[in-house]
Amino acid sequence: MINFRKKSLGSWMISISMYALALTWLYPYVWMVMASLKPTPEIFNTSLFSGTLTLENYQFLFGSAEKLNRPFLRSLFNSFFVTLSVTSSVLITSAYIAYAMAKIDFWGREKLNNFLLFQMVLPVLMFTVPMFVLIKQLGMIDTYYAMILPGMMSGWGIFMMSQSFKGIPNDYIDAAKLDRSSIRQIVFKLMVPLNRSIVAIVALFTFTGTWDNFMWPLIVISDVEKMPLAVLLATFSKQYSAYVGPVMAGAVLQALPLVLLFIIFRRYFMQGMTLSLK
Amino acid sequence: MSKMFGKISEAQIGAALAISYLLFNLVFWAYPFLWLIILSISDWRFFDTPSFSGLTNFFVVLEDPEFWNSVWNVVRFLGYYLPIVLTCSLAFAFGLKHLGRGKAFVALCFLLAHISSGVAYSLVFTKIFSSTGPLNSFLFDWFGFKIPWLSSPSLAMLSISLVVTWKFVGYYGLILYSGLLAIPREIYDAAKLDNTPPLTRLFKVTLPMINAQLIMVLVFAIILAFSIFTEPYMMTGGGPLESTNMPMLVIYETAFMRLQPNRAALMSIIIAVASYLVIKLIRKFLERDVALT
Repeated sequence: MINFRKKSLGSWMISISMYALALTWLYPYVWMVMASLKPTPEIFNTSLFSGTLTLENYQFLFGSAEKLNRPFLRSLFNSFFVTLSVTSSVLITSAYIAYAMAKIDFWGREKLNNFLLFQMVLPVLMFTVPMFVLIKQLGMIDTYYAMILPGMMSGWGIFMMSQSFKGIPNDYIDAAKLDRSSIRQIVFKLMVPLNRSIVAIVALFTFTGTWDNFMWPLIVISDVEKMPLAVLLATFSKQYSAYVGPVMAGAVLQALPLVLLFIIFRRYFMQGMTLSLK
Repeated sequence: MSKMFGKISEAQIGAALAISYLLFNLVFWAYPFLWLIILSISDWRFFDTPSFSGLTNFFVVLEDPEFWNSVWNVVRFLGYYLPIVLTCSLAFAFGLKHLGRGKAFVALCFLLAHISSGVAYSLVFTKIFSSTGPLNSFLFDWFGFKIPWLSSPSLAMLSISLVVTWKFVGYYGLILYSGLLAIPREIYDAAKLDNTPPLTRLFKVTLPMINAQLIMVLVFAIILAFSIFTEPYMMTGGGPLESTNMPMLVIYETAFMRLQPNRAALMSIIIAVASYLVIKLIRKFLERDVALT
């Protein structure tokens, strides 16, 4: 009996400390948001939830920063444009090719599968320098193409989708074929809806990865008009590190889309994270 | 007959789709790969025509103290990062398994850290760790001292590992947690019957049973250590005194600041091979087959 009680006290302690830790883990986010809402001189001098709250940092970012040659609104658009282009392209190409890999018997399918696996094992970091050479030869330095084209297809996306597509019974596809469905219809009206979670996972992880990509746009984009938010924010904070308030407001803008996506689609994110374990 | 015809055309569509992927990779994968090899054995500054230089780059890189320092920094990073992140994510996994209510909420909070954007959280932690930042003012108010988190050569790497730990504990923890869930209850019951002390149980039962997940976390951590860029670039710029100068920073600077793409290309090959070998060694010596019979 005593033993039982002792154990339950300890288990309470563990539970409470887990909740406390979980909230502590959010501290950087909370601090970031609060700092972005305070005038710069007050950020380091007031406690977390005190001080004047104002939107002036955001106004500075979208107004005066332009005069410092830092067009943040434009960069926000750039980030969205590049990220959405890459994500939609990856989704469409992955769905088609994954369908071919999973359900069409063509010569070389096994070899392609092996190639995909080989590609995923090879460290990406090797490709940075030669990829720059390629983009330079194509005359695409300082263009959106430099950020979009190399990411338009994803071996990982194809692999994930084809693994999942394989589980769909062939009868479904045969039935669709009897109804004279085209490949496009089979892929987008049958396979994609039936494999909704894996498609969502590929979309979310591609979006997150592209939005968060920093090194590559840093290398290929030097025109401030075409910089994604991450790069513009980095150059801004290097040059104007005293503008803590606006820098934090920029960090909020950079972090916010991913946080929102994660909260809305947390089920798919969690599924995706545990799925990649198998 | 028509069915057969349909089948042929479908196989052609399949092959066409496969070929589209291969063409894409011819341009954006094979061609860069070829250039990687050309770069590593030639002399070129982005503008003139490459001239064959054989193994010269190799010897130059071998004698480059900055490069070797960055490799050493990978070891230092892992020295801090591995023990901290493994302990924390194991604790997280046990804690999560223990929790009755609120599992999803706790996991959500930790994973929010994992999806935060690299540039954003690097900037936030730079401010939090700064000498007037909230962490130091807390330390100063309560204990009367400050810690030069990012400005001391001996601490900067630790600080970066702490930030990266903040980011990855949720994810690694979730991996380990999925391993813990797969351990059959009977094994614990048997250990309890034998009166195995908790620490022995941890090292002789639990950890061996989640070997696969542990190896996975280890591999992720090692890949990260070799390829980390955003955090040191934003938080320390490789300093102070090059104490956080990681390989990717050296490669970036060599290629795009000093305009020596050949050396940078060769460095990236060496780093890639090194990370591959380390992972291979880990797999060979630590991986156990724990299939239950």
